[in-house]
Amino acid sequence: MPVTQSAAPLRVIIADDAVLLREGLSRLLTEAGLEVAGTAADAVQLLHLADALRPDVVLADIRMPPTQTTEGLRAAVQIRRQWPGTAVVVLSQHVETEHLFELLADDPRGVGYVLKERVADVAQFAGAIRRVAAGESVIDPQVVARLVARPRRDSPLQSLTDRELAVLARMAEGRSNHAIASQLHMSAKTVETHIGSMLAKLGLPPAPEDHRRVLAVLTYLRS
Amino acid sequence: MSRRTRAILIAGLVAVTAFSVVAFYVNGWAEPPGPAIYVITPTLVLLAYLLVGLIAWQRRPAERIGLLFTIVGYAWFLPALTRLHDPLPFTVGVVTGSLYQASLAHLALAWPYGRLRSRLDRAVVAANYAWNIGNNIVQMLFWNPRTNGCGPACPANLLLVHSSARLYSTVGTVASVVGIGLTVLIVVLIAWHWRSARGYARRAMTSLVWVALPIGAYVTIVETPSNLGLSPMITQGICPLILIAAPAAYAIGMARTNSARRAVGAALVSLEPGPPPGRLRDALAAALGDPALQLAFRVPGQSRYLDTSEQAVDPARLAAGRMLTALDPAGDAVLIHHEELRHEPDLVKVTVTAAVLALEHSRLQAEVEAQLEQVRASRARIVQAGDAARRKLERDLHDGAQQRLVTLSLALGLARSRAADADPELVALIESAGKEAQEALVELRELARGIHPAVLTETGLAGGIQALVERSPVATTITAVPAGRFPAAIEATAYFVVSEALANVAKHALARSARVTIQELPGRLLVQVSDDGAGGARPEGGSGLRGLADRVASVGGTLLIDSPPGCGTRLEADLPCL
Repeated sequence: MPVTQSAAPLRVIIADDAVLLREGLSRLLTEAGLEVAGTAADAVQLLHLADALRPDVVLADIRMPPTQTTEGLRAAVQIRRQWPGTAVVVLSQHVETEHLFELLADDPRGVGYVLKERVADVAQFAGAIRRVAAGESVIDPQVVARLVARPRRDSPLQSLTDRELAVLARMAEGRSNHAIASQLHMSAKTVETHIGSMLAKLGLPPAPEDHRRVLAVLTYLRS
Repeated sequence: MSRRTRAILIAGLVAVTAFSVVAFYVNGWAEPPGPAIYVITPTLVLLAYLLVGLIAWQRRPAERIGLLFTIVGYAWFLPALTRLHDPLPFTVGVVTGSLYQASLAHLALAWPYGRLRSRLDRAVVAANYAWNIGNNIVQMLFWNPRTNGCGPACPANLLLVHSSARLYSTVGTVASVVGIGLTVLIVVLIAWHWRSARGYARRAMTSLVWVALPIGAYVTIVETPSNLGLSPMITQGICPLILIAAPAAYAIGMARTNSARRAVGAALVSLEPGPPPGRLRDALAAALGDPALQLAFRVPGQSRYLDTSEQAVDPARLAAGRMLTALDPAGDAVLIHHEELRHEPDLVKVTVTAAVLALEHSRLQAEVEAQLEQVRASRARIVQAGDAARRKLERDLHDGAQQRLVTLSLALGLARSRAADADPELVALIESAGKEAQEALVELRELARGIHPAVLTETGLAGGIQALVERSPVATTITAVPAGRFPAAIEATAYFVVSEALANVAKHALARSARVTIQELPGRLLVQVSDDGAGGARPEGGSGLRGLADRVASVGGTLLIDSPPGCGTRLEADLPCL
C-alpha cells in the first residue's frame, strides 16, 4: 500500500492501557510510515510524555486507569489547550455523542474522534491521523451516520436529496470540499454549490472554514 | 353479693313494704286511718332506699354504700313497729323513731363509697347513733303515752319509770337543740369533704351537697318541737319525699359512671387509629376528669419510667392521692390516676382495656411501618446491587472481549497489509475474518450498552438521555434535561424510565413524535415522556410498564401513566432526590 512520504515522519504517542493493543498499534503506525515516539498506559504517563516529547499527534483511548471512565478524553482536552502544536485522536468504543462534543467544544481543529475498531483498516486509520495532524477535524463516519439518519419531523433536512445528505455527512466528518468532491466523484464547483444551498436551507451561516462548519453541522444534526 | 343474700334482701323488702301498708290499715289502737298519703310517702321512701341499696350492692359489691342505703331504709321503717298493738314493738318503735337520721348522717359522711374517711367522721357518726338512741330512751323514762298525746288505747311504754310531762318536754327540748347542732356539724363535714374531693369523686360529692341541704332542712324541721307550726299533712305526707333525693342522686351518679365508661370508649373512637401515646393520655384524662393522669412506659432495660411528656415517673413514690394501674402483666406500661378511681373497678377495667387496645394498635402500626421500611430499603438495595452488577459486567465486556476483538481486528488489518501481494484467496480470507470481527464488535457494543450505558455513568443524564434520543426510531426532542449529576440510583432509574418509554413509543404507540422533559425540582426529579400516538397504554398490559413502576418505586418514586385512547401517552416519574 503506497504511503505518502513527507520530509520527516509524523511523531505519534500511543496511550492505551491494553499492552497488546499498544504494541499492535505501534507496529501498524510504523508500517504506515509514522514514527511512534512513545507509548503510555495511563493519562498521567501520557501527559508526561506529551510534555517531554511534544509529538505531532497523540492517540488516546477514552477509557483509561485508574477510574476507567474518561481519563483519555480529559487528557486530550488538556493537551490541546496546553500544547496547540500537538493534535489528538481519541479512540472510543462508544458511538455516543456526548464525549464528542466535549472534545470539540474548545476548537475542533486538530481533533479526531474515532471508533476503536477503525484500527483494522490501516490506510484509513493512518489517513485520519495525518488529517488531524494537518489541523483538520476527523469525526467517525458511523457517529455522523447515526446523527444523519435520525428520524425527524418538520425539519428542513427532510427536503434534502440523498446526494445533498451525502455531502452533509462528509462535512460533519470534517472533510474538506476537495476531499468531498473526490470521494463523491463530483467537481469542486458542484460541491460548493451543494454546500451553499444546504447551509441556506438549514438556516446555518455560510462558513468558509471547515472546522467551524463541522461544529455547526454536528450541532444542527444533534439537536 | 351472693344469690342467697340477694334473695333474702328482696324478700325483706317485700315483707317490710307489705307490713307497713297492712299495719297502717289494720291498727287496733290508733285513730281511724288518716289520708292514704300518710302511708304512700313513707313506703315510697322505704322502697327508694332499699332498691338503690340493693342495686348498689349488686353493682359495687366491694363498696359498703349499698349496705348503708339498706340500713337507712330499715331504720326508716322501724317507727312503723309502734302500730303493732303490743308494748314491746311499740317501745322499740318509739326508741328507734329517729334512728334513720343517724343512719342518714352515716350515709352522707361515708358518701360515695360507704367508707368513713377519718377518725373525726367515725366519732361524729358514732356519737350521732348514741345520742339518737340515748335521748329517746331518756325521754321514754318520763313519757306515759296514754296520758300524753297517744290516748288510752295506746300500748304501754315498757321503759316508763316516772310519768312526768314536764321532764319529758324538757328533755325533748334539749334533744332538739343537740340534734340540730349535730345536723349542722354533719352538713359542715359534708361541705368539707366536698372541698377536698378531687377528680372523679368530686362529681359524686357535688351531687351529695345538693341533696344534703334539703335533707338537713327536713331533719331540722322534724326535730323542732312544734315542727315550725307546719301541718302534719306537710311534715308527714309531703316532706319525707325529700329523703328520696339521696338514693336518686346516687342512682344518677351510677348512671354517670356508665357514661364515663362510654366517654372512655368515645374518646378512643375519636382518636385516629393507633394514636401517639400523648394523644391517648389527653383523651383518657378528659374522659376520666383527671387532668393530672399520666401514661408512663418503662425505659427498655431499666427500671425507670417516663411519661408521655418525657417526665420521669417513680412508681415507688407517687404523689399523694395518686395510684398506679399496670396496663400489662409485665408492668411495662402504667397508668397513674387519681386514687378515687379505685372505687370504680369497672371504669378502671374499661379504661385499661381501651388504653391497652390503643397502645397495641400503635405498637403494631409501628411494627408494620418498621417492616415496610426494611422491605423498602432491601428492595432499593437489591435494585442497586443489580445496577452495580450490570455496571461491572459492562466494564468487563469493555475491558475484556471488546478490547480483544479490537486487538484481533488490528492484527487482521496488519496481516491484510502484509499479505497485499500474496495469494488473493488468502487476502479475501483475511478480509472476511476482519469483517466478522468488526460485526462482532458492533454487536458487542450494543449488547454492552443495553446492559449498562457507560455514557450515563460517565456523563450523567444529559449524555445518557441524548444517546437514547439519538437512537429512538421515532422523532424525539429533548425539552429539558438538567446538566448536573444525581445519585446513581436516581440517574439509572430516570434513564430506564426514558429508555422503556421510548421503546414503548416505537413498539406500540404509532406515534409521529415524542418529547422528553426532565426537570430538577426542589428535592425531586420529574421525568416526563409524552408522545402523540394512539394512547391506551395500561400498566397491567405487560408492556414493561409494570416493571418500570417497580423500578421507580424502588427509589421511593411514583410512576404516573396518562394514556387516554386516541390522545397519546404521557408517562411521568416523580423521583425523590435529596
